[in-house]
Amino acid sequence: MLLTEDQHLQEFRAEIRAFLQVAPTEEILEAGRKTTSVFAPFKQTMDWHKILYRQGWVAPAWPQEYGGTGWNVEQRYVFAQECNRRGVPPLLPQNLQMVGPAVLGFGTTEQKAEFLPGMLSGDDFWCQGYSEPGAGSDLAALKCRADSDGDDYILNGSKTWTTYGHYANKMFALVRTSSAGKPQAGITFLLLDMNLPGIEVRPIIGLDGCPEQCEVFFSDVRVPKRNRIGEENKGWNVAKYVLEFERGGSSYSAWLVPALEKLRARSFLDARGYCVGDDVHIQRRLSELEIDIRAVEHTEKRVNANLKHGENPGPMASMLKILGSEVMQKFSELQLDIVGIDALPLQTAALAVGSDIAALGEESDMLAMPYYLNTRAASIYAGSNEVQRSLLAKAILAG
Amino acid sequence: MQYQYNEEQTQIKDMFGKFVQDQYGYDRHLALCKSERGFSEDHWQRFAELGLLGLPFSESDGGLGVDGGFLMAIAEEFGRGLVLEPYIATVVLAGGLLARADNREMREALLPRVIAGEFKLCLAWEERASRGQPLTVSVTAKSNQAGDKIILNGQKIVVLGLAAADKVIVTAVSEEGCVNAYLLDPATVGVQIQGQTLVDGQRAGQFQLTEVEVSADAALFSDGNAELGLSDVVNEALLIMAADGLGAMDQLLALSVDYCKTRQQFGVPIATFQALQHRLADMMIACEKTRSLMWAAYQAQGSVEFGERVAMLKAQIGSAGRYVGQQAVQLHGGIGMTEELSVGAYFKRLTVIDLLCGNRDDQLTYLAQLQTQRALAAA
Repeated sequence: MLLTEDQHLQEFRAEIRAFLQVAPTEEILEAGRKTTSVFAPFKQTMDWHKILYRQGWVAPAWPQEYGGTGWNVEQRYVFAQECNRRGVPPLLPQNLQMVGPAVLGFGTTEQKAEFLPGMLSGDDFWCQGYSEPGAGSDLAALKCRADSDGDDYILNGSKTWTTYGHYANKMFALVRTSSAGKPQAGITFLLLDMNLPGIEVRPIIGLDGCPEQCEVFFSDVRVPKRNRIGEENKGWNVAKYVLEFERGGSSYSAWLVPALEKLRARSFLDARGYCVGDDVHIQRRLSELEIDIRAVEHTEKRVNANLKHGENPGPMASMLKILGSEVMQKFSELQLDIVGIDALPLQTAALAVGSDIAALGEESDMLAMPYYLNTRAASIYAGSNEVQRSLLAKAILAG
Repeated sequence: MQYQYNEEQTQIKDMFGKFVQDQYGYDRHLALCKSERGFSEDHWQRFAELGLLGLPFSESDGGLGVDGGFLMAIAEEFGRGLVLEPYIATVVLAGGLLARADNREMREALLPRVIAGEFKLCLAWEERASRGQPLTVSVTAKSNQAGDKIILNGQKIVVLGLAAADKVIVTAVSEEGCVNAYLLDPATVGVQIQGQTLVDGQRAGQFQLTEVEVSADAALFSDGNAELGLSDVVNEALLIMAADGLGAMDQLLALSVDYCKTRQQFGVPIATFQALQHRLADMMIACEKTRSLMWAAYQAQGSVEFGERVAMLKAQIGSAGRYVGQQAVQLHGGIGMTEELSVGAYFKRLTVIDLLCGNRDDQLTYLAQLQTQRALAAA
C-alpha cells in the first residue's frame, strides 16, 4: 500500500485548508493558541462554532439528515487534523458529542426538532450535570432528586464539575427519580434551562487559578416532564451510551499529532544561547512520545474503521480513553520539561484572549504549566482511568 | 552514618513545626500567595527572633554555626506547611555565598543585618543555558580602563526572592573566563526587572542587565576564588530544597491516606480497592527513596562526592515529587484539581522544585558526563 492519499481525499484536504485559511478571525486563532485544557476559551470557541455551523461543517459525526456532513471516517479525520494544524480552538464537546448523541439516540421526533437546532447552531450552550460531591467514579450513587408533580419534576440537590456551567443556558442532567432496586435503575436523563428559578451556579477555581468548572445547586426547580430523554428510570442507558461517545468518539490523535510537530519545533528553538533539542536525551523522549502518539492514532483509526456509522465502540471506548488521556499527560510532561524553567512564572493576565500584556518569553511557553496542571484531570474526568481499567478487565474476564 | 535528625535537630524541627502549624493554615497560605508581597514580613521577623536566619553562619559572623542538618530539618517543615518566606533565597543561597566570600568588609557589613532580619538578599545565578550548573554563566563582567568599575551585561531568569531583596548578588564571567559574583543595587541604571509569581505562589523575577556599572569592590571574591564557593552553595541549597520537597511529599502521602480511608464510593471507603492500596504503597516507596538519597547527600557535605550525590538527589526529587504529586491529585479526584484543597498547592510546589536549578534531565546529563570524565581519567 502506498502511503499517499487518493485524489479524492487530497482534494477534500485542499478544500478544508482553503476554508480554514480564511474563516477564523484573529481573535479565534488567539483563543486557539491560548487553549490550556481540552476546553478552549468559551466566547471565541462559540464564535468559531457558529462560523462552522454556517459552513455546514459543525457536526461531522452527526447523521446528515440532522445537520451532519455525510463525510466518511477518513474525511472526518482529515478535517479534525487540519483544524488542529491551523490552530483553531477545538469545539466544546457538550453540545455535539454529549447531549446531541443522547437526543439523536433516544429523543422523540418533537424533542429532536426542539433541541437539536440550538445545539447545532451554537445559539444554545449545554453543560453537563452528572457528578455530585458524593458521586464521582461511582456515578450511579447520585442523589439529586426529581420528584414527580403532575406534568413536572421538582429538582432538589446539587451537581459538580460542571464545565463552563457559568456560561451555559441549558443543562443535561442525570437525576434520581426512584430509590427502589439497583442505584442505576432509578436514574432519569433530563434537559433543563439554566435560567429557571431555584438554580444557583458557583464557579470552582482550578489549579491554574482560573474557573473552568462549577457547582450547581437546585432548590425546588420545576422542569417539565416533556424534557425527559428516554423513559423514566432508564436514564442510565442514555448516559452509558453518551459516555461511550465521550470516551471513544473524540480523536485524541488529531490533536496530538500536530501538537507533537509544534513541540519538536519548540525543542529546536535557540532560546538565547541554548537549544534543548541539541540534547539527544530530549530527542529520544520525543521519539518515544511519537511512538505512543502513533499507537493512539492507529488504534483510533482502527476502531473507527470497524464501526458502522452511528454505532458506538463499547468497551473499546475505555481503552481509547485510557490511551488517549495518558498520552496527553505524557505530552504535557515532556512539554513542561522542554520549556523548563520558563514554565514556572504564572502568566494568567497574558493568557487572557485579547490581553495587551506580553508573554515573558516565547508566547507558547506560558501555556506549558497550565496545560500540564489541567491535563491531570484527563485521567479523572469522563470516568476515572481506574474505573476504565476495571471496565476493561471486566470485559476481558467475561470473554 | 547519620540517617535521621539528631536530638538537637529534632528539637528545632519540632519547635519550628509548631510555629508553622500555628501560623500557616492553608487559608493563610492562599491569602499570602495572593498578597502583593507574597509572604509575611511579620513571619520573617519571627524567623529572626527564633534565630533561624543565623543558623548556618559562623559565630564570628553573628550566626549559630550549626550544620546543614538543621536547615534540612526546618526546610521539611517549610514544605509540610507551604511556607512562602524567601528563606532559601536569602539565607541559604545569597547568605551562604556571602559567608564564603573573601570580601571581608562586605561580609561583615551585611551578614549581621541579614541575620537580624533587617536586610534581604537574593542570588541571581540561573540562566536559560545553565541547566543546573552555576559555573555555566553567560552574563559578562568587564573591567573599565581605570580598573575601578565593572560593567555587567546579560540576563538572569527565575531569580528567587528578587522582589523582596534589598540587594542582589549576581554571577558573571570575566573576559578571562573567570566566574565571580557581584553585589548589585536593583535600582542601578541599566537593570530592567520583571517580577514573577511562580505557579506555587512564591515570588521571583527575571532581569536584563545593560551596561550596568558597579564598583570593583562589589565583587564578593578575589579573582579565581568564587567557583568553589558557588558550586558548594548551590549544592547546599539543592539539599535544603530537596528537604522542603520531601516535607511536601510526606504531607501529600498523609493527606492521600486519610482521604482514601474516608472517601466513600461504591458503598465502601476507596482505600478498600487494591489498585489504590498499591498506589499508596508506591507513593510511600517514592518518599523513602528520596529520604535515603537526602541523607546520603547530607553525609557527603564537604567531600568531593557532594556534587554527585546532590545531583542524584535532585534527579530523584524531580521524578518522585512528580509521581507523588500527580498520584495525590488522582486519588483525590476532581477535588484534587481545585484550589479548595491544599493537595494542588503541594503538587505545584513540587513541580517548581522539579524544574528549578536543573531538572531531572539536566541532572542525568551531568551525572553521565561525570562518569565519562572518570572513565577517561582512569584510562
